[in-house]
Amino acid sequence: MAVDFLPPGFDAAKLAQAQRAFESALGADRVFFEPLDRTGYEDKFAIDDAAHVPSGAIAPTSVEEVQAALRVANQYRIPVWPISRGKNLGYGGSAPLLAGSVVMDLSRMKKIEFDEEFGTVLLEPGVGFYDLYDFIQANNLPYWLSTPGNSWGSVIGNALDRGVGYTPYGENTKNLCGLEVVLPTGEVVRTGMGAFSGAPTWGAYPFGFGPGWDQLFVQSNFGIVTKANMWLMPEPESLMGMDVEFDRPEDLKPLVDVIGPLRRERVLQQSPSIGNWLRAAAVATRRDEWTDKPGALDDSVIDAIRKRFGLGWWGVSLRLYGREEVNKAAYAILEKAMNAIDPLLIRSTMWRKGEPMEYSGWTGTPITFPMQNVNWYGGRGGHIGFSPIIPQNGSAALAQFQRTYARYKEYGMDYQGSFAFGERHLVNVNAMLFNKDDPAMMARIDPFFRQLVADAKAQGYGEYRTHLDYMDLVAQTYDWNGGALGKLNARVKDALDPNGILAPGKSGIWPKGQGPRAGERG
Amino acid sequence: MRKLLIAALLLAGGAAAIAQAPPPPKPTTLASRPGASGGEALYLEHCASCHTANGMGTGLLARRIQPALLEARDNLPAQYVIVAVRQGIGNMPAIPRGELSDADLEAIAEYLAAGPHEAAQ
Repeated sequence: MAVDFLPPGFDAAKLAQAQRAFESALGADRVFFEPLDRTGYEDKFAIDDAAHVPSGAIAPTSVEEVQAALRVANQYRIPVWPISRGKNLGYGGSAPLLAGSVVMDLSRMKKIEFDEEFGTVLLEPGVGFYDLYDFIQANNLPYWLSTPGNSWGSVIGNALDRGVGYTPYGENTKNLCGLEVVLPTGEVVRTGMGAFSGAPTWGAYPFGFGPGWDQLFVQSNFGIVTKANMWLMPEPESLMGMDVEFDRPEDLKPLVDVIGPLRRERVLQQSPSIGNWLRAAAVATRRDEWTDKPGALDDSVIDAIRKRFGLGWWGVSLRLYGREEVNKAAYAILEKAMNAIDPLLIRSTMWRKGEPMEYSGWTGTPITFPMQNVNWYGGRGGHIGFSPIIPQNGSAALAQFQRTYARYKEYGMDYQGSFAFGERHLVNVNAMLFNKDDPAMMARIDPFFRQLVADAKAQGYGEYRTHLDYMDLVAQTYDWNGGALGKLNARVKDALDPNGILAPGKSGIWPKGQGPRAGERG
Repeated sequence: MRKLLIAALLLAGGAAAIAQAPPPPKPTTLASRPGASGGEALYLEHCASCHTANGMGTGLLARRIQPALLEARDNLPAQYVIVAVRQGIGNMPAIPRGELSDADLEAIAEYLAAGPHEAAQ
């Protein structure tokens, strides 16, 4: 086998020495350096399968074992890439950015400590959404999760990558409340009230005293999060809302301009997402059911899809959570607002505590079926997402849609776009579905993605999250004052990780002497 | 498949076609089968998110094979399960050894090889 999986500066003998050291520290049954392990941790959705091959993997099961593994990593200066559960599909999955890194798989760390009175939960990184859901069901706890469309992954891993869900607690990273972190040099710190010995409020007050550090460990490579407190939503008394369809692409503008103020005013407390017809069609069907023509779907096919599923060009679901009387009052406001902008249809929903529940993302139920969209083109399917942050403004959203849709047509790709509301922003999520068995299509993906990044940059729009392949590219677009923030990140990285062993390149942050900083002395 | 379609449309906000349709089922987890042990319990922990009623794996398998529920199959040799899990198959990523030990995978494979199981009905 070719030795393209070796870490930089390693030969096979040195890698074998590091492997033995990991085995001494963790036990041979938690160290994995066989060829099958290297392929097992690859990115299933990679554009280039060879780009992110690890040298092996380790699976510590405790904080002490994480520390022991880092001692080995520092001794051998071998890069380590921590994953919670590695299900961040579309962003790299379980694969490291730097080929040859050792994946630190934390999926066996699955402890759950639940505070039923306050709805806070202390989680280890291996706890998946299904695990926590199961815990809540088994113990009949009156709390709901906030699940993403792929709920296979880790709860805190999702929050640490700024993933989102559909309920009022949908911005998951905002519900982190104090972390336990192993620094690259092995020291363990607790943030927020966790820094105060014996404080009963670690999961209750996120800031503690002095600088807040939680977000420094989000999308970063400054430490390995081994525990995190999160807030869960109390089960509401009622859930009301409506699914609304709109007929024309141009309807995006009034839709954003009507929903935006309701979101900012917090009449709407969850984060609606306006999506197009392909979001449903790609999950429920395959493209060859509709057409055999190459290039982006034409209007006749789009019309057929819309007709079969009863969809508009855009659809949005609005949901209200909490006391029934409050929800009824807010519903009337939503209904009036939606009717004022000429919807194709409105379908209302209503649930009261004790009634049969809708098992979907709206009720925080874990789900995996949305990932069926990777089968849209057939073959070995996959996807990556292009997701810039744009203003919460209808004209801006419509212009962004029109620019992006034109690019999808130019590159011959089917458009799956959505506009998800935060409180003051929109995330314009554009899924690029592809078939890895279609070389011509795969050759278009990288230039297409780079074009979209450039188009967005010209508008002042930057991505909130990206695939391993584009972390440097996206980090470079955050360029104010000569890239001052990137330089600050590098200084923090060098201070906390002097040997440059933890997740080199994550979010465009490289240790001294590596990657784009190769010219600097390590 | 009908349930999957309904759930997909709900998330997309597409409602007209589904007004009279039954809702998606509750996820199957250990809590829904408190008597499960051994390979069945491990299957519920590691596989059920995709390979029970509303899961991605079930939805995609249903496009080309019946029954789509793995626990309802009578033709899954243990070795086939092990290879599929470790190498990935179709749209399913590989499940690596750090996440699922060889011993636990063998128990799951033996459980599926002994199917069909009543629990899947």
